[in-house]
Amino acid sequence: MLVLSRKIGEKIIIGNDIVITILSNNENNIKIGVDAPNNIPIYRYEVYEKIKNFIKEASKSSSDFPEISDIKSKINKYPKK
Amino acid sequence: METVKNKLGEIEYSDDNIITFEEKIPGFENLKKFVFVKLEREEEIFQMLYFLISIDEPNIFFPILPIKLIEENYPDYNGYEPFGIVKMSSQISKITINLKSPVYINFEKNTAIQKILDNTDYPIEYQLFVEE
Repeated sequence: MLVLSRKIGEKIIIGNDIVITILSNNENNIKIGVDAPNNIPIYRYEVYEKIKNFIKEASKSSSDFPEISDIKSKINKYPKK
Repeated sequence: METVKNKLGEIEYSDDNIITFEEKIPGFENLKKFVFVKLEREEEIFQMLYFLISIDEPNIFFPILPIKLIEENYPDYNGYEPFGIVKMSSQISKITINLKSPVYINFEKNTAIQKILDNTDYPIEYQLFVEE
């Protein structure tokens, strides 16, 4: 891992196209701005990891198919806000 | 007609059934081409479940479900159809669908893209069926 120290307002550039700016910090967290081309997705790391794990589990789970009768009525509709 | 074979059986498909991912799938970065099929099986759940089966590695496949069946107001992406990856279980209440990172499919171009809706409240695992 490359470790750099930056002051607020300072930036880091990754490759030719990705720029990270340290915006502000307070007691509990820091705000980071990321400029990148539209085709490069940017996610919070822990969300990405959780999704990766879910997809792996989903690919392993798919041989148990329970018998559910009248299935359309049993769908758990997403609650309206 | 070609076939893929895995524990779901031997599944026939034609070029029309092939969906190519525009970007990598988290955890399966090297898989891009998938067969998109519905299975003819007795259990009622197969009436609404679709499958994405990797052509390069047919043992890797995902059940998916059209998200509009659960949430009509789901975020749009360029008019593509949103599907959620389903984690199956023999216990009905434990079957979950991923609403956080949908697979959007464009059936005109036969392409797909998985998006992570990081700035929404949709859960990664949402219970798909109401308890009995």
